[in-house]
Amino acid sequence: MRMKYQFAFFDEGSKREIRRATLKAVAIPGYQVPFASREMPIARGWGTGGLQLTLSLVGKDDRLKVIDQGSDESVNAVNIKELIGKTTGIAITEETGEATLIQSRHRIPEIPLHAGQILVLQVPLPEPLRYFEPSEYETKKLHAEQEYSGAWLMLFEQIMKYGHMSTGADHPVLVHKRYVMAPSPIPRFDNSKLNDSEALILLGAGREKKIYAVPPHTEVVSLDFEDFPFVVEPFQGVSCRLCGARGVYMDEVHDEETGETLYQCNDTSYCLQRLNEKRG
Amino acid sequence: MNLDLVHDLQAVYRKTLASMSCPGLISNIREQAGKLDWETGCFSSTVLLILMLLDTEKRFKVYSEQEEATTWLINQLTYAQATETEQADFVLVLNTARVGDLEEALRRANPGNLLNPHKGATVFVEADALSGENELILCGPGIAGASYISVRTKGSWIEARAAKNFEYPLGVDLIFTDSGDNVLCLPRTTQIARQEVG
Repeated sequence: MRMKYQFAFFDEGSKREIRRATLKAVAIPGYQVPFASREMPIARGWGTGGLQLTLSLVGKDDRLKVIDQGSDESVNAVNIKELIGKTTGIAITEETGEATLIQSRHRIPEIPLHAGQILVLQVPLPEPLRYFEPSEYETKKLHAEQEYSGAWLMLFEQIMKYGHMSTGADHPVLVHKRYVMAPSPIPRFDNSKLNDSEALILLGAGREKKIYAVPPHTEVVSLDFEDFPFVVEPFQGVSCRLCGARGVYMDEVHDEETGETLYQCNDTSYCLQRLNEKRG
Repeated sequence: MNLDLVHDLQAVYRKTLASMSCPGLISNIREQAGKLDWETGCFSSTVLLILMLLDTEKRFKVYSEQEEATTWLINQLTYAQATETEQADFVLVLNTARVGDLEEALRRANPGNLLNPHKGATVFVEADALSGENELILCGPGIAGASYISVRTKGSWIEARAAKNFEYPLGVDLIFTDSGDNVLCLPRTTQIARQEVG
């Protein structure tokens, strides 16, 4: 049997709930607004928070881009694109600049976002204090009291153990000088793109039932110490093996035959765009 | 009525979200508001906001000359429950409200608490006119540098809002509408200063 779904899958009541939470999230940057997360036709942990945000936002005139760790064509991105495409009939694009809505798992595109765009990030663990405090009520209290010693201590312990801050991704940030926020598992390389962004950034955690936001032109600072400043992944002297790009986030690829280490752009649509430009 | 409750409310939401994320940005929803032909005692743009955000899970309070009739109508339209200002998730100060109602609504509205600042009320205010004239200077998240607005209302709400939003993140978020179907949002993070003349 072929079911005819409501536009954007959701019933209007669900959209209303998510929209209310989103507006409050924008009004309190970095604060995690609880919401009644819905059951989705994809498993929890596969981007249900981001998907719910996207479905509450999407309209007939939108152009949607979905990326999964920089790729437009990996399983998570393709599934989500198909679900949204089939229940809305909207145009799907791979061009970052063309998209009005971008849902992303763990990357912020290399091409700078512009005003009017909305970036939706999928979040597995929205609570930056969860590492040392398992109780939700306690972490809420810590946020209420702006008591973030634990977040600093986590970074301090990493420095004591490894000699540097070892957050591979999801390095905590301070938003609008008030809330410490998990920026979702984006690489440290992308943290600076959250600061003073032109686009609205919405973050959704379906399993954890939280929505939070970074409005445009909001101060977002990565946590660090005076003597151990925040540093991004180093890609000095490295260029993309396909398009030759430098200064972007790279994937490391090992050639098993030659034993050589090669690099290529993690953002596949950025790489493709450069290759197409080169070809003319 | 040929309002499309799916697509028109989606368009209104996106415009409201744009205004909430960029305080000072005045969005116009005339295209959608023009499709409403109900006699509600509210601006059409306010009715759209009500349909967009209120349902049985939310409580509201109306300040208006026809408070009883409008309250009944909103309840019938959305199943939201009427309550006192202190408990309301949405406080509606309509254009027909008495002088002083806006200040009272802001003074009594729920600012949330430190554990749950999102429980701070959203206040809909029907203004006489909204424009981008240089009367008030806004700064804060969502604003590159500063933005300028002019809000003509019956009351002087700026001091009452500042007093309510004194202890960030506690506070109320304002959504203004006018008869021209303009929408302007002032989240609690926005700082307001008056333009000095001369």
